[in-house]
Amino acid sequence: MKTKIFLTTYISAILLLLLFSCEKDNFSAPESMLSGKITYNDESIGVRSNALQLELWQHGYQNFTKIPVHIDQDGTFSAMLFDGNYKLVRMNGAPWENNTDSIDVVVKGNTVVDVPVVPYFTISNAAYSRNAKQITATFTVNRVSNQRELRAVRLFLGRTIITDNGYNIASAEKPASEVTLGTTVTLTVTIPDSHTEKFLYARIGVETEGIGQLLYSPSEKIQLD
Amino acid sequence: MKKDIQYYSIIALLSVILVSCHGDWLDRNPKTIIMEEQVWNDPKQIVGLLANFYNRLPVFTGLEGNWRDMTMFDDAMWSGYSGEEWRNQMSSYGNNLGEIWDYGLVRDINLSLEGIDEYSTALNESEKNLYKAELRFIRAYYYFEMVRRMGGIPLITEQLVYDFSGDPTYLQHPRATEAAVYEFIANEMDEIKDQLGNEGSTTRANEFIALALKSRAMLYAASLAKYNNLMAVPVTTPGGEVGIPASKIEEYYRASLDASLEIINSGKYSLYRGNPHLGENYYEIFDKKTGNNEVIWVKDYKAPDKRHWFSYDNIARGLREDNLASSCVTPSLNLVESYPYLDGTAGTLKNRTSDNSDYIYYDDLSDIYANKDWRLYGTVLFSGASFKGLSAGIQAGVKVWNGTSYNTIEGEDIGTMYTDGGVLVGNSGPHRSMQEVSNTGFYLRKLIQSGAGTSTRGILSDNWWIHFRLAEIYLNAAEAMMELGLPDAVRYVNELRERAGHPANSLSDLNLDILMNERRIELAFEDHRYFDLKRWRKAHTVWNGDANNPNTMIYALYPYRVVGGPNDGKYVFDKMIAPRFRNPRYFQLANYYTFIPQHARDNNPKIVPNPFQ
Repeated sequence: MKTKIFLTTYISAILLLLLFSCEKDNFSAPESMLSGKITYNDESIGVRSNALQLELWQHGYQNFTKIPVHIDQDGTFSAMLFDGNYKLVRMNGAPWENNTDSIDVVVKGNTVVDVPVVPYFTISNAAYSRNAKQITATFTVNRVSNQRELRAVRLFLGRTIITDNGYNIASAEKPASEVTLGTTVTLTVTIPDSHTEKFLYARIGVETEGIGQLLYSPSEKIQLD
Repeated sequence: MKKDIQYYSIIALLSVILVSCHGDWLDRNPKTIIMEEQVWNDPKQIVGLLANFYNRLPVFTGLEGNWRDMTMFDDAMWSGYSGEEWRNQMSSYGNNLGEIWDYGLVRDINLSLEGIDEYSTALNESEKNLYKAELRFIRAYYYFEMVRRMGGIPLITEQLVYDFSGDPTYLQHPRATEAAVYEFIANEMDEIKDQLGNEGSTTRANEFIALALKSRAMLYAASLAKYNNLMAVPVTTPGGEVGIPASKIEEYYRASLDASLEIINSGKYSLYRGNPHLGENYYEIFDKKTGNNEVIWVKDYKAPDKRHWFSYDNIARGLREDNLASSCVTPSLNLVESYPYLDGTAGTLKNRTSDNSDYIYYDDLSDIYANKDWRLYGTVLFSGASFKGLSAGIQAGVKVWNGTSYNTIEGEDIGTMYTDGGVLVGNSGPHRSMQEVSNTGFYLRKLIQSGAGTSTRGILSDNWWIHFRLAEIYLNAAEAMMELGLPDAVRYVNELRERAGHPANSLSDLNLDILMNERRIELAFEDHRYFDLKRWRKAHTVWNGDANNPNTMIYALYPYRVVGGPNDGKYVFDKMIAPRFRNPRYFQLANYYTFIPQHARDNNPKIVPNPFQ
């Protein structure tokens, strides 16, 4: 009899404990969406998909590590977060001037933050034309920053909107020595025979000396018939 | 009266307690803790401690722990458990690739050095010097492992003691420059090499092991000084924590060459030539421990006490002796084709006629590899080859002649028969999607132990992991001589090629491209390619993330048996991108130096970040 009472109390005590712990260690998932884009002069900047990131840091908690935020190919980014105050850090190695100043971000509900950067070069007046199997791009490369030199300009053809120096079916390159900044540059590339779809995407990239990542114009869809 | 007795007894008791306090009854050595005086006066305990430190030295891949990272580059891909498929799908390398930051080991070594000085009374001077030299070797090797991954790091050479003043800044040491760390390693080796005994040992540091470390470290430093500064924009930090000035190039190459030549000219080591079969001979360097005079320093294993699982995880599927695992690290066609033909031509395998109109038909599964450099045989288990006396059984399917072309038929499972009674899929695949079956058509031979049952969980393997061997020293010497413009640099490379079946003096001249390839094939899966491509600043162009670049994708070779038609019963081969391999290898400039871990930067604000961090 005594053991029975003891056991019952014991078990119910454990059950009670379990119930409490459930409340303690079940957090709700983050619900606020932080989104935005990388901009220069209010225009978004194109990059390689899945290659560049921003860092979010939050002070005040014991576990102080970054939250990496990947930048999409069109320069946009997003992250699901808890409400709070964050520091947003732009990382080195991107095709824009390294700036270690952090940006204060207050996340309260869905928040939109644009991240201004100073690119080394920009692409303007990009236009594409097709002549049978040839795609010709005309564009202008403009210098924005004097910190670094131009290395090359490149034209990429791809099967999807994610077209860059990693994912492409054909590309052409012109070294900096053949490019005059501020004037129209022409690049031509041949569509490979293996390409059978009725459309493709074209995109221009600018490569800066000492920076692995290129800066891209928006991907443009080109119909082939 | 009664009270008196009480008083007396209390006084008596107190005096007993007081007396015992005078003796050492309470002052006893603890039974569960070994005291400093005991350790540092007992050679057996010191050697035990040294064994612990040697065992804690990191290797990038090795035979335990991180060997899975052999599949991170272009020599091999992951064909094992599908839960690790990210290795075939990652879009770029993580910023923490190869991260180490174990100052616990450094502290233990520094404590030991000070302990010997402070407590050792029973040891004579030469014993003390030997142990201290050995400890300094281990510390220098650890700093070498750190600097080649992280760049310059704080050089801590004494124990750091906190004084509880509330201000820890005096314990915060900044990073030394990259050049200073390499020079520290070279200086330490110069100072200790004459104090190190252990003559003839391959596991404990001796003079030649110290020289081998100097040879490699100075070669790394010299090539960093040269090739980093050849980049349009060198990878550096303002304080020199990353980036070695170009003025050091010649001095470092010279130091490396001197160390290499001292080893070579000592006559203590010779290339292994124990087996007349040149392929088996190369394989035995890693499998045979007796009569092997080529190895300089190894991490050894010995059954039954210290064994590893490498063979269990990586043996060919059709040859596995256990009922689980196998086939994790599978070499790529990229690596197989980098082995040249013995007539000196490039190693591209000939599976199609030169005008690409038809297959080339082979009588036997292994004929396509005829006349290749024998190191291929010793490294890779390819179709038609055998291991442990058994045929690997590598065949992907059949090609059935329908009068005008071939229908390709592959099986759902391995070890299956076609309707004509012949083999459809071999016991080892390859298979396009099955886990633990090669996805490339190749398996590892090198580093898989040959003994019976060594791939079972009950027996496991005890073949060794080689840190340094003479062949690397030959290549180090050749590279330093080439870079210094000295004549006859090619001699050492030719000797290695001759051992692999090439005629004498097969190369007349040496350049960096040839040397890169020789190092890739001679030292495959020995922790070299990743670090070599980093120090030559080639990694970001070789693995540039462009899916059209053949170096970034892993290629496979699938063998098929021809059924029907004029070539019935012969074998043909298809080259393709390995079906499980998805994303090109993408090594970014930021990957040249692993990011400093955040906890280190939090604790020590003097630690500056790496470039691009």
